Amino acid sequence: MRPAFIAAAFAAFFAASAFSQDKPAASPPPSWQQGKPSALSESTLHPFNIEMTGRSASELPIDKLKVPAGFKVQVWAEGMPGARSMALGDKGTVFVGTRQLSEVYAVTERDGKRVATVLLKGLNAPNGIVFNKGTLYIAERDRITRYDDIESRLDNAPEAKVIVDGLDPDKQPGHFWKFLAMGPDGKLYYNVGAPGNIVMPGYFQATISRVDPKTGVIETVAQGVRNSVGFDFHPKTKELWFTNHGRDWMGDDSPNDTLNRVSHKGMNFGYPFCHQGDMPDPDFGKHRSCAEFDKPTLKLGAHIAPIGMRFYTGKMFPAEYQNNIFIAMRGSWNRTEKQGYNVMRVVLDPQGKVLKYEPFLTGFLLDAKADPPMWGRPNDVMVMRDGALLVSDDQNGIIYRVSYGK
Amino acid sequence: MCIGCHGGDGNSTNKTIPSLAGQPRQLIATQLFQFRQGNRKDPQMSPIAANLSNADMNDLAAYFATLKATPPSHRTSADNAKLGAELAKKYQCTQCHGPSLLGQQHIPRLAGQQPDYLRTQLKGFKANTRADMDGNMTSAAQALSDNDIDVLVDYLAGLTAE
Repeated sequence: MRPAFIAAAFAAFFAASAFSQDKPAASPPPSWQQGKPSALSESTLHPFNIEMTGRSASELPIDKLKVPAGFKVQVWAEGMPGARSMALGDKGTVFVGTRQLSEVYAVTERDGKRVATVLLKGLNAPNGIVFNKGTLYIAERDRITRYDDIESRLDNAPEAKVIVDGLDPDKQPGHFWKFLAMGPDGKLYYNVGAPGNIVMPGYFQATISRVDPKTGVIETVAQGVRNSVGFDFHPKTKELWFTNHGRDWMGDDSPNDTLNRVSHKGMNFGYPFCHQGDMPDPDFGKHRSCAEFDKPTLKLGAHIAPIGMRFYTGKMFPAEYQNNIFIAMRGSWNRTEKQGYNVMRVVLDPQGKVLKYEPFLTGFLLDAKADPPMWGRPNDVMVMRDGALLVSDDQNGIIYRVSYGK
Repeated sequence: MCIGCHGGDGNSTNKTIPSLAGQPRQLIATQLFQFRQGNRKDPQMSPIAANLSNADMNDLAAYFATLKATPPSHRTSADNAKLGAELAKKYQCTQCHGPSLLGQQHIPRLAGQQPDYLRTQLKGFKANTRADMDGNMTSAAQALSDNDIDVLVDYLAGLTAE
């Protein structure tokens, strides 16, 4: 069964390629080009690459950043090229993962100064990172590992202990980086993305799964999820909520990226057949109906690339922010005029119905028609113990802090 | 140290060594990073990059990006001036490298670059031995014949950078 799936995926990969005009390519186009229709072969839209060596905040227009009245935004730490997912230790260490680099950073207070140091290096796309009961868990491209008692060993990190290995048996070309979260059930939740923009996924691709760190047993939590790089658990209902990236090359305004809620086991959110709950894929959707799939809770906008999302559980922000969701948008690129690059606020009622969806932190997007249009890219959000919200920016390797009052 | 090979004003006079003048800032920093990381390997560049900090790389990139690219000494043949422009369009070089092939962001300026350097890079991409940010160049180079590479190199090396 497996080889047939892979063959089909690769056939689709080549058939849709803009580079296949002369002879079959020995090396397929990058996954971001995959699924680009021939009508768009002249398109100059392209993803933006991060600054691999980071940038200093002093060179950047930080004063463009805006937050609602009463809030304040400032640079919290810098010098962490590619800074993405964040995790908070019991003793206050902020752990930071990366995707295009191989580092995991630790931000600590030393002698009254905040310093960012390289904690681990040589890892394979260590994007997923979570701290729980003294242990740091990391999701790399192909495995999930643990580092016990990490905050006592920041200067001499222990060897990784492997919880699960072999998560990328086919060396998938796209969406191989993983997000990681600790569930209220004590299991580690992670995504395996679709291997390309729009392809038939393999058996455990385009899913969110969970692994029991004690036994290593894996279960599928949700299917038909193209690529989720951010999830969190509702503080009251304990349900899993996640962001999901829609496909590219299907128009400036379609499909939407989405916010989703997992209310029971066995849900399927439609990829590759149906996008945003109600838009059949032009190819894969021909013989399927959107009616058979689960719907998103909220359409977030097209191509805005929602990454990190967390429920706000802190005490610093006004009471109406309690249990709101903050979502970091890292895009858009696959759109003639760019949008996004904000941190958004979603207000829910107690039943989980969306009451409000509005920008919270803006100012990264400078010129929607420019290339590049932005100077920074929000990647993950995290609530600190004092209630402030940290926002990572992997374009520059900077973390910002949003606070209220004071 | 850089100027010994890349030229005092960032314009190389050696056909095998790239000019850095007028290259995009992000491109220069990215390539230095690739050498330090070991993704790109070169007997001269690897040991130099191994000792550079991120701040060093950013400073060097910012400096060379501000230098003016001088008109190339390479003269493109009349045939290849026409043929090269056609190939650059056919193989979609201009889509990422820009309409005048001056580069942008992490993507290099090709106009006026040293010919032997260009040839080595294209052959390396085709052979899948030259580190590539996301596989785009490795993929694009697969369709190039050796003759295509010669034509493109002759065309690009003679283009005036501005």
